[in-house]
Amino acid sequence: MTGEWRLFKNIERSVSTAEGLAVDDTLPQSVENHHSPPILNLYTFIPSVIVGKYQDIEAALKLDRCRARGIEYNRRSTGGGTVIMGPEIVALGFGINMDYPGLSGRGMGGVFETIGGVFSKALQRFGFSSHFVTKNDMEVAGKKVAGLSASAETGKSLLFHTSLLVDFDIELMTDIMNTPLIKLYDKGYNCFSQRMTTVRQEVGRNDIRVEEVMDAIRDAFEEAFDIRFREDTPDEWEQEKIRDFIENRYTQKDWIFSHKHPRSRMGIGRLKTKGGLLEIYLSLAGGSIENIVITGDFFSTTEDVNCLEKALKWTSARPEKIEEHLSEVWRDDMIFGLDVPTLTRAILVAKENQVRL
Amino acid sequence: MADIKGYNMPDELYYHKDHSWARVEGTKVTVGMNDFFQREAGDIVFVDLPEEEDDVSQGEVCGKIQSRKWIGKLVAPVSGEIVEINEDLEDDTSLINSDPYGKGWILVIEASELDDELEALMQGDALTSFIEEEVRVAEAEKAKAEEK
Repeated sequence: MTGEWRLFKNIERSVSTAEGLAVDDTLPQSVENHHSPPILNLYTFIPSVIVGKYQDIEAALKLDRCRARGIEYNRRSTGGGTVIMGPEIVALGFGINMDYPGLSGRGMGGVFETIGGVFSKALQRFGFSSHFVTKNDMEVAGKKVAGLSASAETGKSLLFHTSLLVDFDIELMTDIMNTPLIKLYDKGYNCFSQRMTTVRQEVGRNDIRVEEVMDAIRDAFEEAFDIRFREDTPDEWEQEKIRDFIENRYTQKDWIFSHKHPRSRMGIGRLKTKGGLLEIYLSLAGGSIENIVITGDFFSTTEDVNCLEKALKWTSARPEKIEEHLSEVWRDDMIFGLDVPTLTRAILVAKENQVRL
Repeated sequence: MADIKGYNMPDELYYHKDHSWARVEGTKVTVGMNDFFQREAGDIVFVDLPEEEDDVSQGEVCGKIQSRKWIGKLVAPVSGEIVEINEDLEDDTSLINSDPYGKGWILVIEASELDDELEALMQGDALTSFIEEEVRVAEAEKAKAEEK
């Protein structure tokens, strides 16, 4: 064993978005400025929805539905897209210094991969395999079970956020979110089951407890980094920081409705091809693809379609970049009768049809 | 024009260890992110820039750059007042990828302590050693990932 890290584990109650996010933001501060060893924060939120730092919250969410259903909404300090949170979803905050042995010199990609490996180990304990994919998601057979996001914070410290689905309320998601997937769901096409999964679904047991999953994550961290956790709570210095983040960030409209974000648009593109009808649902954030759904009456597998969609998420929407990213993952038999230029053309039709959200 | 392990690192620029570059013209310093950063980061999807007239210190985080779901830092290579922001990045953040030393410039600083601070930045052999080490680590990581 090479060291002792701190574990904040909250199974007593689900916390508000302001409290959970404020504690997480304090972790890298404490590591950098308060001589703390790395800190892992495991907890759950009350039913809520959290957008990425640079998302347009008013475009990403149906705020009137959130208010009507008592769903809290907020903005986190790390990147990526919208996540639904709640008592059956493990929330994880992790603060560590980039110079920590095992991470030092690995670059951001290496750090993501290390943390992804920890989650994979944790989920193995439930008898199924998952793996980290380069776009920062944990997947089981092509379906997302957890999303990772990160931010370089003060000095050399890092903050990681993860949401791990123990269970998931699809009905809630379809009611409060604005994504291309929702438009498909409205047409009666259940695209979520092909793109997402949960721990309970993979294990085939509804009695898997959130605490069991938290314990598996803790054990996997200990094994991967050869450390032991000491269960702890925020000290006085940290509590002051948490209060400050709650008061001056996570309860402030200026933060939650920050207008420092790219313009959000959505477009649908249809193209008849030799391989069948292609139907593309595209969400754009400024010049970047925030989300894309590729559907139609062509022949392919769910895993291959998911692979193509992931290759494009959070990348540039410029034609040459779309073609480049598709080519990186493309195999001849991915979509029968289609090629990269044709698929690119269909995506560009969706881009041409974009409307402001 | 220097090529270090396949990365374009122009000789006339000064480089900070957090991968920002500085082009010095009198007391005006144009700042951007280097070729190694943009290639390692991949597509830049958002840039959070400071305001003009903000004061920054050498080594201070003066902006944030999102690539996929990671938010990285733009570190000021010199101290001074920000006098210009590249507004073209608001519409097209990919300029940082496609032309990191040209149209992908990020901001201009009116430097206040240039002579002392340039000594803390890298050029020549020091830059070559730094980039070679960064490349070595990145390649080792990629090899490890491919083994899995």
